[in-house]
Amino acid sequence: MATEHTVLSVDRLTKQYGDVVALNEVSFSITDGITGILGENGAGKSTAIKILLGLLQPTSGTATVLGQSASETVSVRARVGYMPEHDCLPSQVSAAEFLTHMAEVSGLPPAMARTRAADTLRHVGLFEERYRAIGGYSTGMKQRVKLGQALVHDPAFVFLDEPTAGLDPAGREDMLALIRKTHREFGISVLFSSHLMADIERTCDRIIVLQGGRLVQSGEVDQFTKETETVFIEVDFNREALLTALERRGVVVTVERTGLTIEGPDESVYDHVRDALVEAQAPLRRMAPRRRALTELFEREDAA
Amino acid sequence: MTNAGTVFDIGYQRYTDRREGRGRSRRAIFKDGLRISLGLGRGPRAKILPFFFIAVLAVIGLVFAIVAGAAERMVGPGAAERLNLPSHSDYYGIASIIVFVFAAVVAPELLCRDKRDGVINLYLVRPITGSDYVIARWAAFLAMMLVAVWLPQAILFLGLSAGDPKPIEYLQKHWLDVPRFLAAGIAIAIYATTLAMLTASFTSRRAYASVFLVGLFVITTPFTVGLSEEIGGSVGQWISMFNLTNIPVHVNDVIFGQVSEVTEDAPARELGSAILVSWFVVWTLVPAGVLWWRYRRLSP
Repeated sequence: MATEHTVLSVDRLTKQYGDVVALNEVSFSITDGITGILGENGAGKSTAIKILLGLLQPTSGTATVLGQSASETVSVRARVGYMPEHDCLPSQVSAAEFLTHMAEVSGLPPAMARTRAADTLRHVGLFEERYRAIGGYSTGMKQRVKLGQALVHDPAFVFLDEPTAGLDPAGREDMLALIRKTHREFGISVLFSSHLMADIERTCDRIIVLQGGRLVQSGEVDQFTKETETVFIEVDFNREALLTALERRGVVVTVERTGLTIEGPDESVYDHVRDALVEAQAPLRRMAPRRRALTELFEREDAA
Repeated sequence: MTNAGTVFDIGYQRYTDRREGRGRSRRAIFKDGLRISLGLGRGPRAKILPFFFIAVLAVIGLVFAIVAGAAERMVGPGAAERLNLPSHSDYYGIASIIVFVFAAVVAPELLCRDKRDGVINLYLVRPITGSDYVIARWAAFLAMMLVAVWLPQAILFLGLSAGDPKPIEYLQKHWLDVPRFLAAGIAIAIYATTLAMLTASFTSRRAYASVFLVGLFVITTPFTVGLSEEIGGSVGQWISMFNLTNIPVHVNDVIFGQVSEVTEDAPARELGSAILVSWFVVWTLVPAGVLWWRYRRLSP
């Protein structure tokens, strides 16, 4: 099992394109494990990843992977993998040939590259299909090839940019399971970018939230989940009386179109809800835990 | 007793052996470039064009050899020279348009498809720079072109030697043709490769690059020939210099020390060897520099 040490570090990282600030003095570090980088489109996720991979030069600040800056030395990339969001696969060649080639490009000798390609395709579930041209693969299979090429040279760290994009629910589940396996069985640390909180929550140990080029939040996923959890309550009538009863008990409530939302509930809140329902004589139609949507979370941060 | 084996899943194995660095990366891209050039590891259709052009170029060399051999046998020793039949010095001039079309059609495949499929994004996060990538691809196609242009000359040389009634004397008399056709072949291969790769660097569509290049070579020839004859004088000579198919053929003429059939009427040849060679160097180095710059900037 991998020991915890810093594999990636970003210090006051800023990237400007003319007047547009893509990243604004962002600082964070990542240790072994699976880290999710969450943000809406344009939040700066891809810019951060491109700087970390050495594809972009930062305007100011530093970014190091495995202790080295990828924009200063390309050798560090031999120990880093990258799975892009967009299409990046040749259609005419087989997965086995493509992965062998990419392993060689990462510096592995030809014989080892062939062995690693076959092993990696087995681990991502494409062993039987490995001699078919990639052009004939389904979207899910192509995502697996993309993951395979990121892993074929046995990196210490891998960047996954929106790995579940375009997948159906079953394919998404499989991909998330593969990502968990990448760290827990293969021992490779992962930085996983997504705009889907559910994917990050179910896969990652830690989370980094970017918005508008700023670091909004970072920490353990468990803590984050707790903070973003809400309880939704819907009653048949006497909603106003219920609201008053809850507020009198010190419960923070948000009024929505069809019901009430209680922020960050702990165990005692459920007792207060029970008592308030009795006091207001409001027949309960529905009570369910709910996760705050990403956009709501950002709105809340903006308000703060 | 049964020989049935059991397959054990030993799980994921970390790679602890040697990593060979950028040299291996460059060689891998070079090797892949050669395979793309020949369509290897791809469907049958990808092999048709490269092998067709190589075969056509080789057949031209073979026909030269057969005709010269037949003349030597039927007319008498030295007949090929007396009848001024095409030989090593004429080959690149006569075959140049095929060499250029070959480069125009096949070379863009080495760069355009990587851009179109997005594979270039995977190369650039490997332990190489944009310069490493484009130099390896350029070198791969150059190697392919060298084979394509040297092979027919080698066939011609062997054919002429074997067809001569006194092969040993022929070899003693004509051995200098070998370094000459090798050098002239390098000139035409570098020129065609660089122009084709530069054009390919501007588009992700191979067809656009190919059509542009074929058009460029086909159109500039009659245009510059007509205009240079019409205007005449030194201006006409300089207009003739812009006949793109003739630029490496003039270098071929300088190397062989005689004018080939293709360039004998070109006003540009009157400008002198130094100018003709310098012009070739400009037309090779400038496109090479632009090509390198376009890929170098992909890595910060």
